[in-house]
Amino acid sequence: MTPPKHILGTFDEALSSLRNNVLMMAGLAERTLDRAIKGLFQRDDNLCTTAIADDEEIDQLEKQIDKDGVDVLLRFQPVASDLRRVVAAMKLSPNIERVADQATNIARRARKLNKHSPLPEIELMVPIQAHAMSMFKDAIDAFTREDVDLARDVVSRDNALDKMNKTASRRLTQRMAEDPEQLRGYLNLIFISRCLERVGDHATNIGEDAVYAAAAEDIRHQTAAAAT
Amino acid sequence: MVSLIEMPQALPQQLPRQNECPVEETEEATIMIDVRDLDFAYGSNKVLHNVSLDIPAQAVTAFIGPSGCGKTTLLRCINRMNDLIEHARVTGGAIHLGGVDINAPEVDVVDLRRRVGMVFQKSNPFPKSIYENISYGLRIAGINKRSQIDEAVEKSLRGAALWDEVKDRLDEGALGLSGGQQQRLCIARALAVEPDVVLMDEPCSALDPIATAKIEELIHELKMQYTIVIVTHNMQQAGRVSDHTGFFYLGKLIEFGPTTKIFTNPSEKRTEDYITGRFG
Repeated sequence: MTPPKHILGTFDEALSSLRNNVLMMAGLAERTLDRAIKGLFQRDDNLCTTAIADDEEIDQLEKQIDKDGVDVLLRFQPVASDLRRVVAAMKLSPNIERVADQATNIARRARKLNKHSPLPEIELMVPIQAHAMSMFKDAIDAFTREDVDLARDVVSRDNALDKMNKTASRRLTQRMAEDPEQLRGYLNLIFISRCLERVGDHATNIGEDAVYAAAAEDIRHQTAAAAT
Repeated sequence: MVSLIEMPQALPQQLPRQNECPVEETEEATIMIDVRDLDFAYGSNKVLHNVSLDIPAQAVTAFIGPSGCGKTTLLRCINRMNDLIEHARVTGGAIHLGGVDINAPEVDVVDLRRRVGMVFQKSNPFPKSIYENISYGLRIAGINKRSQIDEAVEKSLRGAALWDEVKDRLDEGALGLSGGQQQRLCIARALAVEPDVVLMDEPCSALDPIATAKIEELIHELKMQYTIVIVTHNMQQAGRVSDHTGFFYLGKLIEFGPTTKIFTNPSEKRTEDYITGRFG
């Protein structure tokens, strides 16, 4: 449900602009990640190069969001849900920017892989990238719709991604021993798997911030806290 | 007459009680003022409806809400300042200070106001010297020994963070002080008679940001010793200085709880809409 408008119309405009920039940044990061992954699977250097080039625009948006967030804090001193939304937007943007950085890393590794003959082990990346991409999309969706249940669900999916990454790394390490000729290729795949696992970590952070923005609840580090 | 001076200093309360508004569980704080089911009217115009809250001792409690919501009326009920207004009366419920019903017929109102000091929106020093502004209340209270008064004047001015600025000109007129200094003088005047509670009705609304900061710093220091209740229209000020906040609307207490909770995650939509500037 859309909250009623503020008496101060400029406050609504500033909040709306901040939110739109976050969503635009997330859209660009998703597109960059998608291009990098397609560049990997389709062995398309052009897509990889485009993905790398996209990063600049995302970096600029991160700076813009920081600037706009500080501006809103300074000019309107938001409280309650407004404050949470501003804080969440400012915390989301570095995570989105790092997702784009991971996409750039994947694109760079993909270009290296594309110089050599295809490795069948690339199939190991298919479920990992699907899982990471869905986590990121859902985290942004949870933030956009203030859907606390979806955000919690994203957070709960991170362990599965960690396990997938470990399994793939183990398999690729094994292949390196069996086929040392392709050592560089397997190493690149290990790095790509790790990049995708990091995308899941950033999606988790975004999901946690989405819960904070919508429900004022801090769900970070709950497992660690419970264990101690 | 019951002397409020002899009242127990605090009333241990059995919390929580039934309230009409969401009240966050407070830590085991000592309750200084217990407002229970209070109704208040100016003639036939009922302005407070069934207000209940516990104001903790040695803490700052802020009342916020739009104009006409009843926050100042409630503040003035606490030291019965409303008795001075014709046809204004408590029509139901009670306020207990340290366990004693302040509206009981046997309560000495002068004594109550000595124990519950008040600082107003506009500073109102007497047109007398700085020294006399402080000593006046002491003389009314029957203290005439010069050395005792001197000591109390210095202590009060130090307590109000004004001593260093005026110690060399105590005999000069109080009206020659700046607005911020005059307001701190009024606080010192209230402190001179050693109250338990200090009520502040928008104490910074006429002050510049520097003078406001000094008063806010003073409030922070005073709460170690006094129970402070402040009415403010400045949301940021309520957030900065208070430990607990009550939001009033149309004569009702909508929500009362820790200030951090009220300003980050209020339970009531009306509170949220007011503090975020969506109505008022």
